[in-house]
Amino acid sequence: MSNAGLWLLAAACSMWLATNWLALSLPVHWRQVFVADEVAPGYLRTLGWLALAVSVLCCFKADHPSMAVLVWFTLLPVAAVATAMTLSYRPALLRAACPAFLRAR
Amino acid sequence: MLNSFRQSMAWVHTWFGLVLGFVLMVAFFFGALSVFDREIDRWAIPETRFEPQPMPSYDNLLKQVFADLKPHPLDMAATAERVIGDLPAPDTMPMVSLFAYTTHRDPVLRIGAEFDIPNKPKDPSDDHLHVHGWATIDPRTGAALPDDQLKIGSNWFYPMHYSLQLNWKSLGIYVVGLAALIMLVALITGVIMHRKIFKEFFTFRPKKRTQRSTLDLHNMTGVVALPFHFFFAFTGLVIFAAYYYFPVSGTLLKPLHDRHEVIEAEHTGLPHEEAGVPAELASVDAMVAEAKRIWAERDMAGEVGLLMIEHLGDANGYVSIYRAGSDRVALVGEGIHFKASSGELLREEPPSDPVGAVNEFLTGLHLQHFEHWTLRWLYVAGGLLGCICIATGFVFFVEKRKQDHAKRGLQGCRLVDAMAVTTVTGMVLAAVGMLVANRLLPENLPGRGDWEQWTFWGVWLLSLLHALWRSAPVALARSNPAWREQCWVLAVACVAAVLLNWITTGDHLLKTMLLDPYWAVAGVDLSLLACALISVYTARRLARTVEVKQGSRIGGVAYE
Repeated sequence: MSNAGLWLLAAACSMWLATNWLALSLPVHWRQVFVADEVAPGYLRTLGWLALAVSVLCCFKADHPSMAVLVWFTLLPVAAVATAMTLSYRPALLRAACPAFLRAR
Repeated sequence: MLNSFRQSMAWVHTWFGLVLGFVLMVAFFFGALSVFDREIDRWAIPETRFEPQPMPSYDNLLKQVFADLKPHPLDMAATAERVIGDLPAPDTMPMVSLFAYTTHRDPVLRIGAEFDIPNKPKDPSDDHLHVHGWATIDPRTGAALPDDQLKIGSNWFYPMHYSLQLNWKSLGIYVVGLAALIMLVALITGVIMHRKIFKEFFTFRPKKRTQRSTLDLHNMTGVVALPFHFFFAFTGLVIFAAYYYFPVSGTLLKPLHDRHEVIEAEHTGLPHEEAGVPAELASVDAMVAEAKRIWAERDMAGEVGLLMIEHLGDANGYVSIYRAGSDRVALVGEGIHFKASSGELLREEPPSDPVGAVNEFLTGLHLQHFEHWTLRWLYVAGGLLGCICIATGFVFFVEKRKQDHAKRGLQGCRLVDAMAVTTVTGMVLAAVGMLVANRLLPENLPGRGDWEQWTFWGVWLLSLLHALWRSAPVALARSNPAWREQCWVLAVACVAAVLLNWITTGDHLLKTMLLDPYWAVAGVDLSLLACALISVYTARRLARTVEVKQGSRIGGVAYE
């Protein structure tokens, strides 16, 4: 795979992590995934935003700036829908996106 | 006050969205297909299944191809009606300009030319009188491809996207333009109506009542892809703005426009008129090489996308060479112009001013001439999310009202539901039916392309009749079995198209993916199979009566 391809893959992965973390930072989704009456640690939302920023950087490493912006903006809905569908049908899978050390307060 | 404002926004969203949603559905679905129009062309015309080619040599190949190009009989007939007296014999008409166009995804080359005629027009304001000739050729050999074959992707699905193929007085273009404007309104009113955008950003509850789950899906697909929807509706409007809203340069300000053309020609040094002195054509290949050198110097190395020659055979003739914009979003031609008789550089188009650059970016964003396969697929995903958003809008509309309509004996929901079936499953059926017809119709059938088009409309009409015929249960607050039935037919049609492609061309998936990879055809086949799977899943899902269970409620959002 070319360098650009690897950066794109990295962008997609960090975008997917970002949408997962942002979703889990919402109490309703956290409880859906972990079946606990707790809420996500406060830094999870920050991590989500950071992962979004990382995906921006990866996009810019992969492509010409004008193209990178479009890739980022079109990747976002795909990742968000993937997260939402996982939450609807297989919420337990999202535990993988949030290993124990991220759950610690 | 806020409450009534929100309600008025809801009214606009519901009714404008419903009426123009049917058009938007067509625009979104065929827009998504248009992202791969050239690949669909290759699936539909097996003779063109070879690798994309760069612009061929003019001196060694195109020169002869254009020498053999004749005025097209269709345009001869159309022009004959606009002029006084009889047209001269097509062989005697001199070719006065020509073009050749290709992209990084085209194995074939589109060419065209204008032929001069001595006749005066019947309508004096009809000032651009030429007879046109056009052809599609194999750029490796110069051989013409049969003109009778319809390029289903680029000449049917793509125009469907922006014109609905309603060409009478360009009616379709205006309707789509209005729908795009309403789309922007629907997005804004939708955001105002949706109170819990962030709280329910990822919420989709498939096991709740249909009304609830469709609203979830409608909100989610609308919100997560909001920038995509906004930019595509907006840039679509930008592209056609001069056409829809300010067509003044062709009407009120026509004299000014014509004068401007002459002044601009003086300014740019590209002659507006012929000199009337015959001249030979210098080596076009040398001009192409020079143009490529200049682009490389500007750090925009690239292939030629469009080659044009104006005032052919005249001392004022010039050759214009435009870059195929494959490495950036902005649709930049970076045109370089040469004197045809000597190859002398006449003009390099300067970099755009900021307004021009923004326009080029917005246009390029929509028309995607760039080479970026991931982004292409992301565009398809965005387009299909738009389709889901619109389709769930229809379903929600019906679900919300059908109990009430059933009690009051109204038929409105029934009609909306039948229209929804027609524009959702019916539209996909029409497109897939066309591909099936493409593989079934005999190779040498005269007017084969017309038969394909009639199949498309025929299947669509049948789906409407079927949806109306089966719609009675909707008036009793039940669901229309046509949804399920058309899903089954669609699944069968998709599989049939893939099998027919295998039988009639020998290109099965094992070959196009592994043995002798050819992803353009494999991609269409795989997409058809994916469509079949989704249809089967949907059909089975619809067959199951969804029991409304009281799910556990967490934080105000109920989950099963």
